[in-house]
Amino acid sequence: MAKKLRSKKKLKIYFLVILIGVFSFAATRMLLDFTNRPPVCANSKTCNSDLSFRIDNNVAGIFEGRKVNPPVIDASSEETGVVLGAAVSPGEKHIYIDLATQTLIAYQGKTQVLKAFVSTGKWGRTPAGNFNVWQKLLSTRMAGGQGADYYDLPNVQYVMYFYHDFGLHTAYWHNNFGHTMSHGCVNMRKVDAKALYDWADGPSGKKLGTAVSVCDEITKDNKCIQNNPVQL
Amino acid sequence: MTIRHQIEVESVTFLLLAGAVGIVFAFYSGYKFNPQNIVSLPVVESFQNPIPVITPIPKPDVSSQISPDGEKLLTMSVTTNDSGKTYTFTTSDANGANTQNVYSVTYADTADSMSIPFNTWSPDNKYVFINHIGPSGNDAIVLKANGEPITETESSINSTVIFKAKITNNLYDETTGWASETLLLINTKTSSGEKSTSYWFELPSKAIIPLSTQF
Repeated sequence: MAKKLRSKKKLKIYFLVILIGVFSFAATRMLLDFTNRPPVCANSKTCNSDLSFRIDNNVAGIFEGRKVNPPVIDASSEETGVVLGAAVSPGEKHIYIDLATQTLIAYQGKTQVLKAFVSTGKWGRTPAGNFNVWQKLLSTRMAGGQGADYYDLPNVQYVMYFYHDFGLHTAYWHNNFGHTMSHGCVNMRKVDAKALYDWADGPSGKKLGTAVSVCDEITKDNKCIQNNPVQL
Repeated sequence: MTIRHQIEVESVTFLLLAGAVGIVFAFYSGYKFNPQNIVSLPVVESFQNPIPVITPIPKPDVSSQISPDGEKLLTMSVTTNDSGKTYTFTTSDANGANTQNVYSVTYADTADSMSIPFNTWSPDNKYVFINHIGPSGNDAIVLKANGEPITETESSINSTVIFKAKITNNLYDETTGWASETLLLINTKTSSGEKSTSYWFELPSKAIIPLSTQF
C-alpha cells in the first residue's frame, strides 16, 4: 500500500516537473520576446498625438539644444515636380533602406528610380522589417527625447509613415546624410524626400501603400538582410 | 527525517531544477533572438535618377552639388594652365542664375586637389565647406555661400587646421557634414585607427565642442 502511494506521488512529481519546465520555458521566451521587441515610437512626445497633417509657420524648432528655423510652408502652392519613374513601365513600387550604407533605393518593377543617402537611427534604432507606407503627410510636427536630447521640430515635410510613427521625411535641421542622425526615422534631403513622396503611394481602399523594406545590410548580390525584423 | 519529509525535499528540489532547466533551455536550446529575414531585391534593368544626384555631375572638369532643399548649387570648375590647375568655386540658384564666385585656388603640385563633399551646404544654405586633398590628408575649408568674408579678416576658414592645432589627443579623420546651421561634424580616430570622439566645430566662433555621441 505504502509502495503504491509512493509511486503515485512520484508520478505526480514527474508530472509537476514537466509542467513547471514547460511553463518556465514559455514564460522566459515571452519575457525575452517582450524585452527584445523594437520600440514603437520614434518620437516619444508626438507618437500618439500628432500623426496628422500640421503646419506651424514662424515657430522655432529645437534640436540638440539649439534653435532651428523650420521652413515656411505654403500648402496651396505645393507643386508636383518631375515624378520618378514616369518614363518607366509600370511595376510594383518598393523602397529599400540599407542601414549599413545609409542609402535608400527605390524600385519601380525592376527599375531603380532613385538612390539617395539618408540618415537613420542614431539615438533610437530604425526597425528592420518589411512594411508598407500607411500614411502620407505633406507636413507634421515631431517631438521627443529628454534633457539635452529634447527636440521639437515643426514643419517636417514629405512624411511617409511605414511602422507606427517611424517614417521617411525631410530633415531641414541638419545636412549630414549618409550618417546616422535620427531618433529612428529615415531622414532625407528635401530634394530626395519630395521626389519620393510624389512617387510613392499611400494606402487606398484595400490596396496597401508602397512597400518599404528596412535592411540591416544589402549584399552585393542584392539580398536584403534583416536581423531581428519586426514581425507584423 | 521521515519518508514524507524526504519526498517533500525531493519534490522541491525537482521543481526548482525543472524551473532552472526550463529557463536555461529557453536561452540556449535553439531560441533565436535574432531571426533573420533575407529578401531579394529586383535585378536592376536600368538606373534612373532624374532629380537627386549623389555623385557629382559627370563632366571631366566641372562638378556640382545641390543644396538639401534643392534651391542652391555649388559648382567647381577645374582649368589646367601653365601654372598648374585652378579650382574655381561658384554658388548660384539651382537654375544657374545669380552666380557668385566664392573661392579660387591654383595648385602647381599635382598632389593637391579640391573636391565638393556630398554634405557641402549648411542646412540654411548660408555656408559651404569644400575639401582640399593634399599630401598630408584632407582639409575642410568653410566659406560663406554669398561670397562675403566669413569673418572680418578672413575670406575662408580652414576648420581642419584649427582643429588639429587645438585637439592633439585624437587624430582628425573627416568632416562629414553639418549637425546644424552653424555646426560642422568632425570625426576623429585613435592612433591605432579606431573610431574616437566626434566634435562640433562652431561657426563663426571656431569653438570646438567634444560630443558624447560618436558619429
